[in-house]
Amino acid sequence: MPAGKHKSRSLRRVQTKIPSGKTVQRYEKRNPSKAKCGECGAELSGIPRGRPHEMQNMAKTKKRPERPYGGYLCTQCARKKIIAEHRV
Amino acid sequence: MVFEVGRICIKTAGRDAGLKCVIVDVLDNNFVLIDGQTRRRKCNTNHLEALSETIKLKKNAPRKDVVAEFKKLKIELKETKPKKAGVKPVRLKKKKVAVVKETTSAKTPEKKDSKLVEKKEVSKKPVKTTQKKK
Repeated sequence: MPAGKHKSRSLRRVQTKIPSGKTVQRYEKRNPSKAKCGECGAELSGIPRGRPHEMQNMAKTKKRPERPYGGYLCTQCARKKIIAEHRV
Repeated sequence: MVFEVGRICIKTAGRDAGLKCVIVDVLDNNFVLIDGQTRRRKCNTNHLEALSETIKLKKNAPRKDVVAEFKKLKIELKETKPKKAGVKPVRLKKKKVAVVKETTSAKTPEKKDSKLVEKKEVSKKPVKTTQKKK
């Protein structure tokens, strides 16, 4: 039986293999939600989902596309915004 | 044709997005060669937004001419030179280090052994005393 604190499903269950060869159930915190475009709300691609300590160890270039508004706006919205800035 | 040689554009995709460039050559129905604030590269016209400004440029003009023309528009371009290949660091062989380790390891065990022997002797004594007490 799981302990009382593990009975709610707020922690996800992961099957891991321990050094002795047994598979054991472990409890992990869930990943944060996917990054979304600030303009249209579409899911952004090229952005990893990780817990803060995982994101902290990642290089800056691995966390977002290298483009103006990368990681904040989707490609279509970013393109519209760039064109709007330069048109008079 | 909107996309002709000398037309100033803005790149709208990729890492050079938002930067101004000039069309240097028309390669294809879809592709052009661009230069300017961006790197000198082939580019799809779908990724360009043409502006009303134009520059007088020859076809396949070198980077020098582009820099000079951009100066007239009060846009200074960075000098881009290919990096010179430096001397590669050479890995030192570890054979010599191994020899030194052997000599040191040969010396140290003697000392360690003498210490160990002393410790063993020390440890033996209290055991004997406990036995006597019993």
